[in-house]
Amino acid sequence: MLTLAIDTATKVCSVALCRDQEILAEYNISMGMTHSEGLLPQLEQLLQRTKITKEEIELIAVSMGPGSFTGLRIGLATAEAMAYTWKCPLHGVNTLRALAYNLPLEDLVFSPVLDAQKGNYYQALYQWQDGQLVELAPLQVVSKAELVERIKALGQKALILGECRKLAALELPAAIRLAPQALVMPKASSVALLAQQEFNPEADKKIFGLEPYYVRKSEAEELWEKRQKQQ
Amino acid sequence: MSKDVYILGIESSCDETAAAVVKNGREVLSNIISSQIVIHRKFGGVVPEIASRKHIENVMPVIDAALQEAKVGLEDIDAVAVTYGPGLVGALLVGLSAAKSLAWASNKPLIGVNHLEGHVFANFLADPELEPPFMALVVSGGHTALLKVTGYNSFELLGQTRDDAAGEAFDKIARIMGLPYPGGPEIEKLALDGNPLAINFPVAKLDAPYEFSFSGVKSAVINYVHNQQQAKREINRADVAASFQHAVVDALVQKAVHALQETGLKKIVLAGGVSANKTLQNTLAEAVEKVGAQLVHPTPILCTDNAVMVACRGYFMYQAGMRSPLDLNAVPSLKLG
Repeated sequence: MLTLAIDTATKVCSVALCRDQEILAEYNISMGMTHSEGLLPQLEQLLQRTKITKEEIELIAVSMGPGSFTGLRIGLATAEAMAYTWKCPLHGVNTLRALAYNLPLEDLVFSPVLDAQKGNYYQALYQWQDGQLVELAPLQVVSKAELVERIKALGQKALILGECRKLAALELPAAIRLAPQALVMPKASSVALLAQQEFNPEADKKIFGLEPYYVRKSEAEELWEKRQKQQ
Repeated sequence: MSKDVYILGIESSCDETAAAVVKNGREVLSNIISSQIVIHRKFGGVVPEIASRKHIENVMPVIDAALQEAKVGLEDIDAVAVTYGPGLVGALLVGLSAAKSLAWASNKPLIGVNHLEGHVFANFLADPELEPPFMALVVSGGHTALLKVTGYNSFELLGQTRDDAAGEAFDKIARIMGLPYPGGPEIEKLALDGNPLAINFPVAKLDAPYEFSFSGVKSAVINYVHNQQQAKREINRADVAASFQHAVVDALVQKAVHALQETGLKKIVLAGGVSANKTLQNTLAEAVEKVGAQLVHPTPILCTDNAVMVACRGYFMYQAGMRSPLDLNAVPSLKLG
């Protein structure tokens, strides 16, 4: 399936075109510019350079989070509007799960992490087994220390992916390493590959009105609920 | 005969997700607004993150509804017009991202619209004969300004508020008095039973003829309410609301009339959320009539945020050949003029 994919969950703006398992083109930029400025010009270039026309695209894949709330909304609004215009199916994927697709290697635990603000991280633990990505531990919002403990508890060699630069300063056990630069951040090609696997024409009928995986409520709601409980 | 022009307008600058189709800049084919007022009420005002979450949930359904109601397809649309500022950045980005993607995906031109200019252009739908030049009094929660509209695409800012916007003062006073969000209409309702001359809340006199200041009158009302509460004296809430409203309206009308006299313009339009205020409409209409001018104000549905005004503004920009690039970003503090 010819798939156009978008990932704007982090500071990386990534777009890719994949046909089945083949990555035709990918364009990643991480200059701290707003995705609002960069996303459409990047998509335009992707089609220009590949000479693939808009009508040929069969699936739109988008990274749904967790991640930067604003970034996720820019990606999703863009993806939904394209799906609507082209009457093309849309499939959203979990950003952490997509990160594990950067490196489909068996015998390793993968711990994708994304910044959840205030020193916290979104984390889930996965392993590739017989070509399938298996979830070992579900998504949780954890502190740095908890993040490392959850990996240690599995007692295996592990690789951390995602927004893990700040973890480099920690004294990690020898069995836990950070992914290499080229593969550490979200890639739209991984989003495309994962979406193609998950896509189900029957279940994926909805092409708009989707909700990103925020995981956390807005701060105002959290405060309001705390106040209600105190009263 | 020239071809009909259909503009799809999209608006998400604050707490309404809206889309509309307007034909030839003057004929409304659809006007869909998904309001979040009820959601924000328990917080006493608009919570930006919650507003953005509602926008992404609603933006495409609202656009789809606008096209369906107008009985046109995306292929019939000549351009996509969208608010890119001023407003809440996270909220703006949702409508802007959807609009840019729609325009790109369907190979249509994109037109970024200034939300405040949009409010002014809502008047073209209220008065079919309206043509520049005319005066505009922009009064909203974020802005208070006198704008000379010299052409369809040329504006001259005469003056604006130095501190609070008129609508902001309404909202703050409403909050002090325990009225629900949005406070402006609540103050107006309460004022109906009050005496506008009961309490004298002075509005600062400024040397600059077209500038406004509302922080003084706001503080005067807040102090009055606190002093009465401390002295355990009963407050006549209706009188407070009516007297405050009178002070603000009086200041707006005086400057507007002066601007008409100085420029010799014969038409003035009201624009922005506060333009829905009946006391302001009536007082201003009477005052400008005395100097031989006429007031135009939008219908109630077009006073508050909507996408018809965005499509209408977009139409005149489209006709002038104005287009926006695909890297157009949201500008939260976009200026008038």
